[in-house]
Amino acid sequence: MPDPKPLYDAVLTGNAQEAKALTQQALDEGVDPLVLVNESMVPAMDEVGRRFQANEYFVPELLISARAMKAALDLIRPLLASRGNQPVGRVAIGTVKGDLHDIGKNLVASLLEGGGFEVIDLGVNVPPEQFIATVKDRQANIVAMSALLTTTMPAMKTTIEALKQAGVRDQVKVLVGGAPITQKFADEIGADGYSENAVGAVALAKQAIKA
Amino acid sequence: MKPRERVLNFLEGKPVDHLPCMPITMMYACKQIGARYRDYCTDYRILAEGQIRTAEKFGFDYVNTMSDPAREAADCGAPIAYFDHQPVALIEDQALLADKAKLLALKTPDPLGGGRMHNGILALRLLKERVGNDLIVEGWVEGPIAEAADLRGINTLMTDFFDDVSFVHDLFSFVVGMELRFAREQITAGADVIGIGDAAASLVGPRIYQEMVLPYERQLIEGIHSMGGRTRLHICGNTRSILGPMGSLHATIVDLDSLAPIGEARNQMGPQQILLGNLNPVTVVRDGTPVTIRAELAECHRAAGDRYIVGAGCEIPRDTAEENVAALAQYAQSVTQ
Ligand code: B12
Repeated sequence: MPDPKPLYDAVLTGNAQEAKALTQQALDEGVDPLVLVNESMVPAMDEVGRRFQANEYFVPELLISARAMKAALDLIRPLLASRGNQPVGRVAIGTVKGDLHDIGKNLVASLLEGGGFEVIDLGVNVPPEQFIATVKDRQANIVAMSALLTTTMPAMKTTIEALKQAGVRDQVKVLVGGAPITQKFADEIGADGYSENAVGAVALAKQAIKA
Repeated sequence: MKPRERVLNFLEGKPVDHLPCMPITMMYACKQIGARYRDYCTDYRILAEGQIRTAEKFGFDYVNTMSDPAREAADCGAPIAYFDHQPVALIEDQALLADKAKLLALKTPDPLGGGRMHNGILALRLLKERVGNDLIVEGWVEGPIAEAADLRGINTLMTDFFDDVSFVHDLFSFVVGMELRFAREQITAGADVIGIGDAAASLVGPRIYQEMVLPYERQLIEGIHSMGGRTRLHICGNTRSILGPMGSLHATIVDLDSLAPIGEARNQMGPQQILLGNLNPVTVVRDGTPVTIRAELAECHRAAGDRYIVGAGCEIPRDTAEENVAALAQYAQSVTQ
């Protein structure tokens, strides 16, 4: 069992090169990739999230930490796949139609990847049909929507309705988030889950597919 | 007292009849004349019409030429997208400076060169001609970090602060040069005040803000002041942790968003700073009633003290009820001085 601290620190401080090198080294030494994820990377991103909530970290720090985690993950993902490890779930994520804000969505996508999900990032201004197509064609079992504008929040409801119309609502869990979204709103539109931040989004997604 | 005289007197600390009222309207103003927002962004006559109609109908003291963040970037050659009912937007995955090397060859566009900046200047001239004796005419430029984000892509710029500090300095220098040139033309065209929108400044935290952003905001603001212009600094989002440094810029008006307490801004910026704001545009202005809006304004005014201009924290949402918008000016008029 290697010391989880150096990789943890590399992710926490957003040092992608270091994170990559340490991961490669550990893998060369035969360390189980899942151990790296669970003992170093996930706890580091939890701490990143905590610091963000506490106004110790801001958006630039969040993004470089997410990038460091991704750099390590790029080495780990093929190993997991070749070993036959299935992704925990497959997420279709996007910012809803009419909305172009994506910083929060990108963070959620990175952390979900870190949490073992396969993430299909549909980008911004995503119409309901595109979510539906991704569910149908690529068997996504989670639809994650982000909205930052009060005027685009209703597009979440429209998308949920469209998923119903297309007959695929029962195949997926729908998660929603973004600054103006509340638990109350999520309940009203019939979403399966809401989280106010990206770290919470991973726990939420894991819970959702178990349920 | 005419609105223009009211605001100018107020800015100079001279007596006025009542508080000035200067909330931001863009999509709301467009809706007043039943136009498409696409046309409001691209045709200065429509923008001017919407602004004048809105100011006259609701008793605002000013008109403003802002429509979207993509004017300067478009003229630099950045790919942008037009929507019928949304602001013009940058296409971030095709950002102009995705390749940093391109900055070296980037030329400052001519604000009178027939592009989107020129359209903004034409709006300003028309507003000046039609209502410039009565109302304050306000122009608009993007601030250093907002414009840098437009050119580079906001997600990428955020990581540049760690990866390549000297590139960020070069980019901010370019931006400030361009914005000063744009501001100068707006002042020549008759702008009484130049608004500066620097949205992304609220995302970077106090350290990066002070080290990297503030010096360029200072260059921009001092530059505009030295041209004889007045400034209105608007940073969207939560500026609570940077209020002190923002105050050190001595913008003529600090237009505060709703996420930062205006009482704290007063404490950190001193008694002379003119503060404008800062009702939550959605939960208070759109979702409230005239009664709750007037009460919230009274509270803002109390916390901000005398040097205070009525406004919301950011743009008035398009779907706000008319009586709610009217409540802003009603409050301002009720505070006689
Ligand atoms: C950056 C920004 C922009 C950039 C966006 C660039 C980009 N690539 O994202 C630009 C300049 C393009 C922009 C444009 C506009 N913007 Co803007 N923008 C912002 C700003 C400054 C920051 C948003 C942000 O990135 N926050 C940081 C991230 C990390 O937070 P977050 O997105 O909330 O995400 C976190 C959580 O919510 C959660 N989360 C997010 N998504 C999801 C999804 C799921 C499933 C889950 C579980 C969780 C989750 O996890 C994240 C991490 O913890 C805010 C003000 C502010 N400071 O908040 C305004 C703001 C969001 N914008 C606003 C407005 C009005 C606009 C414009 C209409 C302005 C205009 N007239 O031009 C346009 C609209 C364009 C459009 N059609 O979308 C308003 C929205 C008001 C409202 N409630 O409706 C705000 C609040 C500013 C204000 N005070 O008025 N904007």
